[in-house]
Amino acid sequence: MSDTMVLSCEHLCKEYNGKRVLDDVTLQLEQGHIYGLIGRNGAGKTTLLSLLTAQNPATSGRVTLNGEPVWENQAALDHICFSREINPLNTFGSAAYKVKEYLRIARAYYPNWDEPYAERLIGIFGLDVKKRIAKLSKGMLSMVTIVVALASRAEITILDEPVAGLDVVARERFYQLLLEDQMETGRAFVISTHIIEEAANIFEKVILLQDGRLRLMEDTDELVSRFWAVSGREDEVDAACTGLTVYHTDRMGRAKTAYVSTAPGQNIRPLVAGREVDLAPLSLQKLFVAVCGDEAAEVSGR
Amino acid sequence: MNLGLSEERSIYLQIGEKIEDDILRGILLEEERAPSTNELARAYAINPATAAKGINLLVDQGILYKKRGIGMFVAPGAKSQIIEKRKSSFYTRFVLGLVEEARSLSITEEELIEMIRRAREEGKQ
Repeated sequence: MSDTMVLSCEHLCKEYNGKRVLDDVTLQLEQGHIYGLIGRNGAGKTTLLSLLTAQNPATSGRVTLNGEPVWENQAALDHICFSREINPLNTFGSAAYKVKEYLRIARAYYPNWDEPYAERLIGIFGLDVKKRIAKLSKGMLSMVTIVVALASRAEITILDEPVAGLDVVARERFYQLLLEDQMETGRAFVISTHIIEEAANIFEKVILLQDGRLRLMEDTDELVSRFWAVSGREDEVDAACTGLTVYHTDRMGRAKTAYVSTAPGQNIRPLVAGREVDLAPLSLQKLFVAVCGDEAAEVSGR
Repeated sequence: MNLGLSEERSIYLQIGEKIEDDILRGILLEEERAPSTNELARAYAINPATAAKGINLLVDQGILYKKRGIGMFVAPGAKSQIIEKRKSSFYTRFVLGLVEEARSLSITEEELIEMIRRAREEGKQ
């Protein structure tokens, strides 16, 4: 493949029964990068991923691969893999198969399928291919979806919650395998996860969905370097935060902590200079909570 | 394996510092090949683009240099350069905070100097 693959969506919307679950999402995913998709439950992550991979029709907007529409376009879909979570209760569908039968279907579906690699991965995870999908543990189900995703060798590979059922050893192994393969092949990976803390270093770029909208999409490093907790006496904190975006505040007596961000490229230190406040950087997980956590605060009637 | 990277500081800065630490401690010698982007990505389980950013930071400062087709190497004089750089940030990184904390605890200048002297003595043993 000489061309770099770019999967794009423009003004993508999805409604279910008149309820808008994805609202005007425009973004580009390029080969060569690992993207992390984060958002709270119900933010629209799986809906976005299924629309990007033409497994679900959009209400409006469009999805293209290098300019070609993806919907019902097998030539484009050959380059895209969406390895979904397997539902073990779906006993008349995929769950009725044995693991090896499930993988054989995947091999037939993905033109770049790498069988020796798939076998190596099965060995690494210690998967029993003679077992039926319905009989697998949650962790083993995750492993099957990971084997399909990696061995598909698709230029754009999407994994929805791949580590959900995995123990910490298997998760570390997955991140290693992912990085190894990405360095070797330069594919794009899009990974949705709720386990943000440990995956933060894996993601080159972060996509944050909130209430069906694209809230942030930025280099992980740059994003993390913009977010701070500013704490001190309330009036000092308030004065220091003028000109910053404040997402959330905590109060305890006269003490106040504000979770803030600067504009891209802006240095926070001159802005708070002369104020008696402490600055602490925020991790990706903490900034995620700061940005997305206030819905709960509103519900509790603050 | 995440070998002691903190979550709350830019990872590429920390990667740069780790390489500098290795040069200071003689784990990496001048004119020796430095770890590659892929080796760093693997060792710290981080995105290779982030590892490359950390390496490029040191290349920009002349601590590492590129040999075409072979990789990154530790520049001659890198060690003394790192020492100079860290000395110039020593005052802001350590001394200012130390003095400020001492002041808020009403530790006198004499007491502070005495403590530094004691720490230096104990460090020798």
